Amino acid sequence: MKDDAGGNVKRARFQALCQALRPDLLRFAFWLSRDLALAEDVVQETMLRAWKARESLKDEAAAKPWFLTIIRREYARSFERKRLPTVDVDELIAREEPMLATGQDQEVAEVRAALFKLPEEYREPLLMQVLMGYSTAEIASQLELSTAAVLTRLFRGRKQLRALCGEDTSLDPDS
Amino acid sequence: MIDCTAYRRALLANPREANPELAAHRASCRVCALYTERLLGFESRLERALQVSAPDHAQPTRASRGWLAMAASITVAFVIAGGLWVSAPHSSLAADVVAHMAGEPQAWARTDVAVPSADLAVALADARMRLGAGAGTVSYARSCAFRGHHVPHLVVQTAVGPITVMVLVHESVSKVVPFDEEGYRGVILPVAGHGSLAVLAKGQAVGRSELEAIAARVESAIVWVG
Repeated sequence: MKDDAGGNVKRARFQALCQALRPDLLRFAFWLSRDLALAEDVVQETMLRAWKARESLKDEAAAKPWFLTIIRREYARSFERKRLPTVDVDELIAREEPMLATGQDQEVAEVRAALFKLPEEYREPLLMQVLMGYSTAEIASQLELSTAAVLTRLFRGRKQLRALCGEDTSLDPDS
Repeated sequence: MIDCTAYRRALLANPREANPELAAHRASCRVCALYTERLLGFESRLERALQVSAPDHAQPTRASRGWLAMAASITVAFVIAGGLWVSAPHSSLAADVVAHMAGEPQAWARTDVAVPSADLAVALADARMRLGAGAGTVSYARSCAFRGHHVPHLVVQTAVGPITVMVLVHESVSKVVPFDEEGYRGVILPVAGHGSLAVLAKGQAVGRSELEAIAARVESAIVWVG
């Protein structure tokens, strides 16, 4: 009986953690995949895998990177399963219009469209830094890259994104 | 001293980088200072752009039974927990905040070392919030069980020493509640639409007006994301 109660508390705690982290994980998966349906599938699968592997999460403070590792792995699996054909970015943007709607905020709409056009190798570290709040070292660890390589990707990613948004990039360094 | 190219390169990699070398260059170069201002403006657009509204519940595209069962049990757990909470006796909020301090004495250390951003994000997730740089150095961040919920328990390093902040999104107060209890001085402030904020210091050295000013600074640094 006591074990049942302990198990219920643990389960409730784990479920609360999933609930709390879900919005950011879904945003991350959405911006990575540029496909809300796929992102929702990936997040659901991630939660299931996390639930099955919950004993391996020793420290709750490490939950976010732990979930991020699972979601990135799950996204790679989904991508592999779906074998997505070459995509037309304008079609993707049109399909995800409800998710990308910004009301009257044209400036934000431009950035959202530009993010859809940014190559994944630049988009992913930017998402980790800006959306998930990761440090360069944490991104390097997730992507298995050196910190110098991560800084280069962040630099190039932001530079391209600004150019796609029509920003003045005349003072940006070349490389 | 770094040159303009190195400065802009570093800034494009991380516009929020707080590096004294970058700050020194910015202070000595007007062009780079303007460049920084423009880049931070763009960064703010990028941050807003990424905050698409995440649907609360996944559409059942190919949702597994396992997930649906888990979702159902979450609902049951919330209903049970909610019922228990409503029927529990309510003691003084300030007394409960102070009682919570006893469990984590290590949080009060004076330090310049900030918690890693990922740890901070986890601690804040329960309250569906982020914290901007305006809050100051956060040296301690945990998600703590408090009155039936998990809430962010933070320690911010200030000029008057370490100050504890608890973000109590489930606890509403109608006006500012000052308190002096068990060797702690603090205030609980109402936060419109997001419960309240408890801010407290150890001892009586810090004045109420200072605590309220710190509370206001932290509150203005909070970005609610859910």
